[in-house]
Amino acid sequence: MTKHEFRIVGKSVKRQDVIEKITGEGRYTGDYHLPGLLSGKIKRAEIAHARIRRIDVSRALAYPGVKAVLTHHDVPRVLHYGSPHPRSASCTMDQYILDDRVRFWGEGIAAVAAVSEEIADEALDLIEVEYEPLPAVLDIDAAQAPDAPLIHDVGPGGNLVIPPVHIERGDVEKGFAEADLILEGEFSGGRPVPTYMEPNVCIADWDGSNKLTFWTSTQTSFMVRGALAEVLGLPLNKVRVLVDHMGGGFGAKQDLFQHEFLCALLAKKCRRPVKMEFTRRETFLAGRSRHPFRLWLRQGFRKDGTLTAREMKIVYESGAYGSHSPGVTNVGTASATSLYRCENVRLDGRAVYTNTPIAGAYRGYGVVQTYFAIDIQMDEAAEKLGIDPAGIRLRNAVREGDIAPSGHPVVGYGLEACIRHGIRAFDWAGKRAADRHDPANPAIRKGWGIGCEMHGSSAYPGIKEQGNAIVRMNEDGSVTLLTGAAGLGTGAHTALAQIVAEELGVPFETVSVVHGDTDVVPWDIGAFASHTTYLVGSAAKMAAAELRQRVLARAAEKLQEKPGHLEMVEGVILVQGQPDRSITVAEAMGPSRGIPAEHLVASGSYMPTKSYSFAAHFVEVAVDTETGIIECRKVMPVHDVGRVIHPVAAQGQIEGGIQQGIGHTLTEDYVIDRTTGRSLNAGLVDYKMPLSMDMPDIETVILEAAPDPGGPWGAKGVGEDPIIAIGPAIANAVYDAIGVRFHHYPITPEDVLNGLRRKAAESSARD
Amino acid sequence: MRRFEYHEPTSLKEASQLLTSLGEGAYFLAGGTDLFVEIRERLRQVRHLVNIKRVPGLDQIEWSDQTGLRFGAQVTAGQLEASGYLNGRYPNLRAALKALASIQVRNRATVVGNVCRASPSADTIPPLIADGAVIETYRPGGGRHIPLAEFFAGPGRTVLEPGEIVIAVTVPPPAQGSHRAYLKHGRRKAMELATVGVAVSLEVEDGLCTGARVALGAVGPVVLRAPQTEAILVGSRLDAAVLNAAAEQAMQECTPISNVRASAEYRREMVGVLTRRAVMLALEEAA
Repeated sequence: MTKHEFRIVGKSVKRQDVIEKITGEGRYTGDYHLPGLLSGKIKRAEIAHARIRRIDVSRALAYPGVKAVLTHHDVPRVLHYGSPHPRSASCTMDQYILDDRVRFWGEGIAAVAAVSEEIADEALDLIEVEYEPLPAVLDIDAAQAPDAPLIHDVGPGGNLVIPPVHIERGDVEKGFAEADLILEGEFSGGRPVPTYMEPNVCIADWDGSNKLTFWTSTQTSFMVRGALAEVLGLPLNKVRVLVDHMGGGFGAKQDLFQHEFLCALLAKKCRRPVKMEFTRRETFLAGRSRHPFRLWLRQGFRKDGTLTAREMKIVYESGAYGSHSPGVTNVGTASATSLYRCENVRLDGRAVYTNTPIAGAYRGYGVVQTYFAIDIQMDEAAEKLGIDPAGIRLRNAVREGDIAPSGHPVVGYGLEACIRHGIRAFDWAGKRAADRHDPANPAIRKGWGIGCEMHGSSAYPGIKEQGNAIVRMNEDGSVTLLTGAAGLGTGAHTALAQIVAEELGVPFETVSVVHGDTDVVPWDIGAFASHTTYLVGSAAKMAAAELRQRVLARAAEKLQEKPGHLEMVEGVILVQGQPDRSITVAEAMGPSRGIPAEHLVASGSYMPTKSYSFAAHFVEVAVDTETGIIECRKVMPVHDVGRVIHPVAAQGQIEGGIQQGIGHTLTEDYVIDRTTGRSLNAGLVDYKMPLSMDMPDIETVILEAAPDPGGPWGAKGVGEDPIIAIGPAIANAVYDAIGVRFHHYPITPEDVLNGLRRKAAESSARD
Repeated sequence: MRRFEYHEPTSLKEASQLLTSLGEGAYFLAGGTDLFVEIRERLRQVRHLVNIKRVPGLDQIEWSDQTGLRFGAQVTAGQLEASGYLNGRYPNLRAALKALASIQVRNRATVVGNVCRASPSADTIPPLIADGAVIETYRPGGGRHIPLAEFFAGPGRTVLEPGEIVIAVTVPPPAQGSHRAYLKHGRRKAMELATVGVAVSLEVEDGLCTGARVALGAVGPVVLRAPQTEAILVGSRLDAAVLNAAAEQAMQECTPISNVRASAEYRREMVGVLTRRAVMLALEEAA
């Protein structure tokens, strides 16, 4: 890479959407209103597994103000993917828009459109349903039982979503034979949900040419277009998907949801636009969670801490439909090949159906689960071998050239740099040697822990991705970037504009971004897999580089110079070595005698392989040994992102990931009654995310230790990374504080007290 | 949200008549912070909403050395918190108000509404019971004064008769040597319903406890007084042994249930921890 003096990249420029968002003028899907707009609502099943024997909508249809009611009798019966990724990804076709079968409590069984939300809501109660109950499968063990009832007719059988994923490298038996210490443990985790601020919402509107215009809050507008077109039997140019501002997605808004099909069908039937907006409760019932899991892990270590073998079996709970389970199972299982290098691995990953709400994509995508287990077992090994926990990680940290989970050699290894930086900056040795007692409160025990992670930017090789960008230089010198990448609220569009401005040589403020209209912007695979800056950023940089050449060529004509003698800096085109000869970009683009004004367009397409970002999280916890409450007091996340484009936005991503990670480790769990399948806390009253008062001091460190040649100026992703390492770091710190190991999340206060009692009983039994 | 009829009476008499004549499905609206959520989430079937915010005379906060604190039915948690009357007199109530939901909610929610909702986990009820608060009502046949400890009939239920309206709450002035505290236990620090709440109100003279009221929230169908725990405290010097005995006793006097927030066993254990800590905090607060 040539030495480049950055003017815009690496600076925390003012976000392009900041004023709209602060004034409340930024438009979200729910803010749109069309003449004649109807309100759609979904009737949801209150049974976990059943056949619908009879469904009578006559009273609902007769209710004043109701315009249409749809049941499984009225909608196309097309088997489709829940996760609408291109065919390059492993997906499972197991969903109908509406079925005569209910597979989880909360599944939609009918839809109503009415002149108001209130009337639609009231009409739901008038729909009469008669069920033939079926035996429900409500957890991983029940799903895997030999005589378990089957939830789907499709798939490999035995309630498996996909055939088991097997990965084997090296010689595992030999590896264990060489081990001085073998550890084995079982791990499990709850059901965190992403709780984005903006509940799912969409509006469907058909025009006279049978074209569907569809506003929706999605991370994957082109996938929504594709799935809607396929299921509705339309060509792609007859479905226009629009996404404006989004209030978060965190992965879960990658699916094509039941209400999106139903909204389009209701609008078609009524010949009027229809809006469907989830209540917060519906975001739980019909949204997507992280996969609950059961994991068995066995690892062998030499005396010096070197890993000799790793064997892992993981079962992800998919819920009633496959959604992202194929991807999550593949990515999650493969993740266990790495982080801590090990030549001999044998991994088995499965996903099983249960009659519970659907697990889908959620930040950390199957890796949160595996690294939670691996990083806790690393701590256990360190203790057994008398090695410092940070030291054992340094010894085993993935290195340049190691085969990554993607099957490719790792290019650049930031993990060692992250761990070493944290050891110094966090004063790891000093803290671990300090007194665990808190002079202010005798019930408190303090502890310090570490967790690590690596996570890929882009979904390659699971999905062969492509990033696209069109950059246009207008005749006044202003620049328009057209991108299909969704803006979830992360500031991705600002980062893309920075990249374009930097590469072109124009002021950041002159670049505007057009996004979220599938009829206008270039095709995009969606905003996920921590890849927008990496993948679309590279495409935008390529487009900007080409456009720059074309602008310089035009300027050269006007300046009577060779293009190679020109450079563009801050929107001014200079003749190298002749400071008195320059014109502005506007002058170059505008008309002059004999030359009409022109706009120039360039596009970039980029197909990435894979890069990995790395992080080490150092945390301090305080455990109240009388109440069992764990307080996360300090976190020092040290992240390698290759090249930071917008430091404040990157820091925001990291802090947000830590907040969600603390949540799923300590308080967040969407609980399903294991006898009925009913949701016990489908709402924010009893689903507890950490709030500002619960947040620790966070001292974020961003390193540019391992730039990736595939990203713009070496930039890699940061979206998913911060949610992964925080969990095991907390669990390890809790062990440091009270000497009790937890192999599950969330770790509740009650678990802590029970653990302390168990420990006391064990130590008194020893005495 | 379901549709409902909206009414706006301008006198207690009119409000009372409306609620009686409208019958089932008619509810008073003051702050609405709980009611609107319940309507939206379809937890409560509301056909008529009777807004009492236009009724005059319910927005006062008063203090007198003789009769203590009195606040009307329209007084918000935020107003009471900011009134200054609580400082040094009702630190337990003050702590409960600060622990209630968020600043935004406190600026809407009324304290009387929090009480009348009759939730066993309501934050303001334990300190008000421990401090001997009395409910003042309007009734067509003549109002009543009801000690708060006798006000609740079960979760979400009070002894109010149809058409009877709570107009104010009176809390007696603290006696000499008063020590008070409220501790709330939840899964997070703010925007939380109490898993357990414990309020204590003690009188201590020369190191000897001469009076004690202990109220336990979220561990029974209503907020409970713990008379036998109080008996252990009264007449003692409140040393560690007494505190432990009181904590043990409080655990016996509660009747918690298990739900998604916590198990009954855990709640019972927390009653012990919080009772002991609340007494210690009360003693510190005054010192």
